[in-house]
Amino acid sequence: MPEFSFRSDSVNVEQIMDQLRARISEKRGVDYTEQQIRELAQVKLEKFLDPKGVRSDLFDQFKRAQVPYQAPELPNYAFEAETLYESHRGPLRFIRRLLHPILKLFFNPNPIIQALHIQAQLNTLAIQREAAREASRRPLDQLYYEVIHNLVIEATRLGIEVKNLKMRVESLGGRVEFNERRARALESAVVYAPDSHEPVEPVAPPTPAPSLPPMREREPQPYRPEQGQPAPAPAAGVAGGVAGAVPGAESPGQRSRRRRRRRGRRGGASATSLMGGQPAGGPGAGGAGGADGVSEPVSGPVDAASTSPSADEHLDQYDEPAAGGPDDGGSDEPDSQ
Amino acid sequence: MKVGVVVQRYGAAINGGAELHARYIAEHLAKHGEVEVLTTCATDYVTWRNELKPGVEQVNGVAVRRFKVNHARDPRVFGRRSTRVFTERHSLADELGWLDAEGPTSRALVSHIAKHAASYDYLLFFSYRYYHAYHGARAAGGRAILVPTAERDPSIGLSIFGPVFRGVRALMYNSPEERAMIQAVSGNDAVPGVVVGVGSDVPQNPQPHRFRQKHGIRGPFAVYVGRIDENKGCKELFDYFQGYLRDTGGKLMLVLIGHSLLDVPQHPRIRHLGFLDDTDKCDAIAAAELLIMPSYFESLSMVALEAWGLGRPVLANGRCDVLKGQCIRSNAGLYYDTYPEFVETLSSLERHRWLAGTLGRNGRSFFREHYDWSVVERKYLEMFDRLKRDTAPRTIEPLPGWFDRRRRDLPPAADVLAKIPAGPATSSQAAGTRA
Repeated sequence: MPEFSFRSDSVNVEQIMDQLRARISEKRGVDYTEQQIRELAQVKLEKFLDPKGVRSDLFDQFKRAQVPYQAPELPNYAFEAETLYESHRGPLRFIRRLLHPILKLFFNPNPIIQALHIQAQLNTLAIQREAAREASRRPLDQLYYEVIHNLVIEATRLGIEVKNLKMRVESLGGRVEFNERRARALESAVVYAPDSHEPVEPVAPPTPAPSLPPMREREPQPYRPEQGQPAPAPAAGVAGGVAGAVPGAESPGQRSRRRRRRRGRRGGASATSLMGGQPAGGPGAGGAGGADGVSEPVSGPVDAASTSPSADEHLDQYDEPAAGGPDDGGSDEPDSQ
Repeated sequence: MKVGVVVQRYGAAINGGAELHARYIAEHLAKHGEVEVLTTCATDYVTWRNELKPGVEQVNGVAVRRFKVNHARDPRVFGRRSTRVFTERHSLADELGWLDAEGPTSRALVSHIAKHAASYDYLLFFSYRYYHAYHGARAAGGRAILVPTAERDPSIGLSIFGPVFRGVRALMYNSPEERAMIQAVSGNDAVPGVVVGVGSDVPQNPQPHRFRQKHGIRGPFAVYVGRIDENKGCKELFDYFQGYLRDTGGKLMLVLIGHSLLDVPQHPRIRHLGFLDDTDKCDAIAAAELLIMPSYFESLSMVALEAWGLGRPVLANGRCDVLKGQCIRSNAGLYYDTYPEFVETLSSLERHRWLAGTLGRNGRSFFREHYDWSVVERKYLEMFDRLKRDTAPRTIEPLPGWFDRRRRDLPPAADVLAKIPAGPATSSQAAGTRA
């Protein structure tokens, strides 16, 4: 992710915030809102992910907890137009029918009769529907159980897998870091053998030549990628220590560096010039990489981190001098840290 | 010219935001005319107990007339009434009851304003939400100028304040966000108003070394200045800052200045220094890498302005519209809404000194351009001149009748607030025109 691209005093806070948010999204993968994060935090996944929490008798417990539904036996009326006036007593039924017109003078019973008739039908329908639902619920519950069970198993498996992957990433990260450190140490201490056909120009003080491998082509020179000036020979202990510690063996860094040198020779530029160091002519033969080093584009195998400043370093060049502080102030400004 | 400044509390030792704002304005306007402060005998904003003597006294060369408060605040009654008006359907009488419960209820102050309003050219009422401003502005008639100091809290949604916002002669806003909010809630676009804010006496020659020596602080640090309170976002700040130390291995220390109403975490990289005087406070800000403002609600953060005045960047809570708007307009601060944003912004300010330095320089320019005392005074005087020329009568709508006041047909204030557009003011709003 690139760092800020602002290089002047005219910064735009909204633009900076957009860049920061983009960087956060890149780091996190998904840019959750605060609300989403809170919702996620509330879900206690651990409870489900714990395999100890999965009981083997889960289904039995599930069935036991789900008592089968018994529909209550409620009376249901078949409500018709004459239901209001019905009676098992004949005279009473006759009198009611006789007084029916008088009753209708006081109120209209028809809407009540209609409503109750509809209600009776609804009750029947509801009972039928409840029975059908209850019948279909059992197999559905079984399906739910299976789904939950499978989910628990899968979640547990995923949890374990994630833990394993985390450990693997940590382990790989450690190895990468170790390799980087090793490569850096080797880079700082590597010694080039003289070419067999080139005259050997001793560099003062002469380095006690350790048992160099036969592929060494140039005379011993400390490799300093950032410096174009000749540098003093490395301490014998360091060079000898590194070279002598692994006689005949070579690290991946050495191999790649040798490949770079060969490619450099094929391309007309010396390995050191390609790497920003001295040309093959030895100390004093050129400045920062010499003419070849300048004309030859630095690309491919050249380690970008060692040849160009990183984005952070690039930004740091805009930092003000320590005495000035972040301000345009003078002596009253705080110490630079 | 005689100007009255009406504020809920007043005194050299009273450091509340609106009260300090009122004192600064009174002291600076006193250079241009006669100023009298009308206030209460209270010093505690929670209880409003009468603690000072009524009568006239001089505070920093300004005449201060104090009036007794009729009753102290009962927190239970106030809490119950707040719940009713903020969350339930209620009546105008409920809102007036809430205002009375909030206080500081000083009928003597309102009565004095009603009797003597004619002896002042203008009366500046600070903090719309208190009893003295609501009833005082009604009593002052066409001489009332309101400095609302409004925050985005539910009280802005109460119906009683609409007529006041529409009926005063003018409003002196603290920020474009405040103006946009008040115009949205009350439709007072026709009332003359200007975004002024308040200046600050930032020392020209702060001594960061003195602060570091005095308090034994080494290394870079971020500073928070203000009441250490959960309502000010300090709890969230503690969580976020500890996360920043844990997750990024950042090198900053957090220095807290102010009275604490919250437990400060015991952490070697978090230092609480308590209340400091203005000199120490400014030295601390000058010594800091940045100022953090975690508050959710601010009408105008004076300490943020001071940080900018001292050339320091600000890291503000992006959920506070005013702070976010100020950061954007000034290009002098970053803001965060979430923890990852907090970490990223803080780390960026820590690592990239050019960024912190540029933001600080922008802040200093912003402060000089908008919050220098000469600018603030000029805006007040221009408003007085404008009102002198504009003689159109403006009165506050009278309260409805007894039955209408008791009709429970007003929506909960929280619902009203939710409907008000949020976010920092657009450039057109900041310039003073409606978007």
